[in-house]
Amino acid sequence: MDEPTLPIPISYIAGSYFLFSIDAVTYVRREHHICGVLSGTLPQIPQQNVFLGLPLKLMPEEARLLVEKGVACIVDEVKVQKDGMRSLMEEDRKKYLRELESQGQHAMRLQTDRKEQQREKALKKIEEKKAKARKAEQPPVADGPSEGSVVDLFANDQGSETSRRSSTVAAPYGTAMGVTPATSYPPLPYESSAEQRLALPEVPSSYPMFAHLHSEGYFLSPGLRFGCQYLAYPGDPLRFHSHFLGVSAEWDEEFDLMKIVAGGRLGTGVKKGFLIGGAEKTEGDAGDPSSVRTFSIEWGGM
Amino acid sequence: MTTTMPPPPAQSQPQSNAPTAHPLEPSALTTLLSTTAPSTPLSASTIQILHNLQHQHLWTSLRVHDLHLPSPNPNPDSTTPNDPLYLISGIPPHHVYTHPDEQLFMLERGLRDEDVELDRMFVLPTVEGQSWSLRKMAGVFDSLPGGDDETSREVEGEKADKLREYYEYREKARVTREWGGKRMLLAMVDRQMGGDGTVVYYVVHDGAVKPRQN
Amino acid sequence: MADTDEAAIHMPSQDSGMHIDTDLSDETQDFRMLNSISFLTDGSQQTLPKRGEKDFEPNPTLFQADVLSASRQAMHNALSYPRLHHPKTQVIGIFAPNGPAPPRSAQKFDMITEESEPSKPAGTGMGVHADSCVYVSNPKGQYFKSIGQADRWNRIWLLPEEALYLLERGTLDIRWPCSEVGCADGDETEDSGIPMSLQAAYAAFMGRSGLTSERFSVYTGLRRLGYTIVRAPGWYDEEEGADSSESEQTTLEKPQAPSLVGIFNQLLQWLYRPTPTTALGPVAGLGIHRSYDNIYRSISIIPWYDPTASPSPPPRTTPPYRVVFHIYKPSTPFKKSAPPTPDFRLAVVNARTHTTFPTSSQLGALLESTPLDPPIGEKMSRQLYMRLRHGYRNVILAVVDEGVVSYLRIADSAFGKEKIYKEKNTRGNKGPWRPRPKGR
Repeated sequence: MDEPTLPIPISYIAGSYFLFSIDAVTYVRREHHICGVLSGTLPQIPQQNVFLGLPLKLMPEEARLLVEKGVACIVDEVKVQKDGMRSLMEEDRKKYLRELESQGQHAMRLQTDRKEQQREKALKKIEEKKAKARKAEQPPVADGPSEGSVVDLFANDQGSETSRRSSTVAAPYGTAMGVTPATSYPPLPYESSAEQRLALPEVPSSYPMFAHLHSEGYFLSPGLRFGCQYLAYPGDPLRFHSHFLGVSAEWDEEFDLMKIVAGGRLGTGVKKGFLIGGAEKTEGDAGDPSSVRTFSIEWGGM
Repeated sequence: MTTTMPPPPAQSQPQSNAPTAHPLEPSALTTLLSTTAPSTPLSASTIQILHNLQHQHLWTSLRVHDLHLPSPNPNPDSTTPNDPLYLISGIPPHHVYTHPDEQLFMLERGLRDEDVELDRMFVLPTVEGQSWSLRKMAGVFDSLPGGDDETSREVEGEKADKLREYYEYREKARVTREWGGKRMLLAMVDRQMGGDGTVVYYVVHDGAVKPRQN
Repeated sequence: MADTDEAAIHMPSQDSGMHIDTDLSDETQDFRMLNSISFLTDGSQQTLPKRGEKDFEPNPTLFQADVLSASRQAMHNALSYPRLHHPKTQVIGIFAPNGPAPPRSAQKFDMITEESEPSKPAGTGMGVHADSCVYVSNPKGQYFKSIGQADRWNRIWLLPEEALYLLERGTLDIRWPCSEVGCADGDETEDSGIPMSLQAAYAAFMGRSGLTSERFSVYTGLRRLGYTIVRAPGWYDEEEGADSSESEQTTLEKPQAPSLVGIFNQLLQWLYRPTPTTALGPVAGLGIHRSYDNIYRSISIIPWYDPTASPSPPPRTTPPYRVVFHIYKPSTPFKKSAPPTPDFRLAVVNARTHTTFPTSSQLGALLESTPLDPPIGEKMSRQLYMRLRHGYRNVILAVVDEGVVSYLRIADSAFGKEKIYKEKNTRGNKGPWRPRPKGR
């Protein structure tokens, strides 16, 4: 995992904030507890919705928090792409194409080697099975593909199952795979110019509570599925269940107390607490985001 | 500030099988509400919840407290700017709430719920449909007392050492908020049109307190 | 009236009565589970992993830290998986930033003026959608069966959502046109050889011709599950009379059975209850009643809404409560040239900008814009609750909160049409009535 250079550019596209670089995604998750929502299709397993891939969509709150921490900046990605590609120099273009070519060749080599190995392994297995069968022993123990402890980058090609099977004959070396990169640098520069940068993201009035819970160490994600504004996790959502269903209110905003009962009931039903909070407004001042009060609600059980 | 609870009126059980054309006798609760003459709907609900705590949930040493929130909000739109608020406090027959970490602490020392002295708990009586705000909620919590002095507790018996250890730690946990901050019960009574008088209770904590897992 | 059933749309192939108790996409899943999916062996046998074991809260153990770091590493690896195109199966698309245009060779004698209104849904004279912005000269693979439109030069033109989806899943290699990458003699439709990155494709296609990120989330989410999903006429918010084609269908279908029944009902009602008032005695009327049915009929004095008798013309829908997608189940045979009647109609709502439940008139207008879909069929005629659940018109609301989509099915149930007092025969040997499953 490479450390991304700071500030990380967050792409603003059509009203949404995206990260396209895997290093940036891993970094903000690990170092800043910002998870976003993976919204893209995983090319290696595209027909399902359980595991999704890049890009990572950030809530405006998350984007703003990263900018305020000085970790990221917002760039007008549409402008970056349009201006950047148009002003690409002939030499850069050629250099980039050469790079892609060699990446594609590398990928092809890896895949061919892989297939060779697999074929040999499969042949070996058949041999072993035959040998075992000859000895007429108990049925062979099924051993799964345990050697691949993590997803191998080049383990799979993009073709359909049938084409993969039919093309087990090694493709000749020297042919290159086409590559669709995740990010646009290169050929575009990583750093954005001043006129490509945008102002702080506009955030809903729940931002103070979001920032408060985040500063307390919670990981936050959109809460629609549980009927709230934010889900608050005590640790990385990869490994932990959420603790709270969070809803924000303004300090003097009047709400029906039924909201608390309904939220408490909803939360208790899924073993979570219901949390309501907002920025405290003291005499005269316009609300200091640092002083946020929260209240958590559970069913009384009586 | 603290008014002790008025004694329940003498319960005159209506003769249900008396052959009479009179309309039905009012229920005990209705009698209670009308004889104690509450001045506002809120105080009526307070008495109703008090009654519920006393007779359904068997709380003892019940008290009603007047609550004076620092009238803050010079908001003219506010529908209930200076409605009197009440708090009820009492001692439940068993522990209503134990923080998950506290539970673990007790478990590790072989302490059971009934070994630990029951504490006075505060109940905020509310009515369904009542309007509320974060400022009000914060005001209620700020007016709650901080808790008893744990060190002065007298403990005896075979678990005395463990108990003493527990109380000492609880004193510390109160400061660090390790076992949660201030808490109270929010009681809501269904008194609206067609309401059946159900009272529901929810534990409200000051701050983010992780949920119990049972 | 409102009936929310996420399972119905998630699991179309299964019995609608069967509900999965956990939806894996509900919460973030541990990417280590991905490792257990074998990519290397037979891919057709792929099954989804079980819900990962998660902990309640962090503790300072090394074990937990190791597991977390393994999970993150697995996620990192899964997300680093490259999009590669084997030369044998590579499909190349060219980005056409100014919309559909004839190939360069044809331009000599066929000067096409640039489209002045690029958002217009009508054709361009080339037989393809004016919003198309990528063309494919060598359309290979199963995806083009339900995606894209061919022009007369045998090129397939793709809408922005189609192009972005295919690129994202690693199926399509989209190239920048020469005109966009600073080639001196660049042509608008010629391949520059430079592939569009995922990032570039998002910047180019998202926000183009009404493609919001919410709509795209819905589009890809359903495509990934195997549905065919196409734009509906209501896609264009500002377009007047956009859903007229749908309502025409409706009016054509309507004046058959329902109207007859309606008139008959009105006649009966008029006969049996002249004035529903208690001033002159009981509502049921004085005299001898020979059946309960008569009594029930005469005391049903509360007017009810009959979804089969819709007002004409139907009220105007208000965005976003407007059908923007037509959905076809994977099992429905789909022909691009003549799309069949959709299995579902879907409206997309951004939960961030629309935080309250739609008003009755908004929902009403939305439902009115869909054709009548009465609960008919053998099962329906037997089971009252299935009829109520199904309703007479239905639409799916996709509510999107920052990339997280929830689907709600809204149906127009006709409680007034179901005379419970007439049901007594069937209730004796009752079809199993199951209560709706509790919240998820």
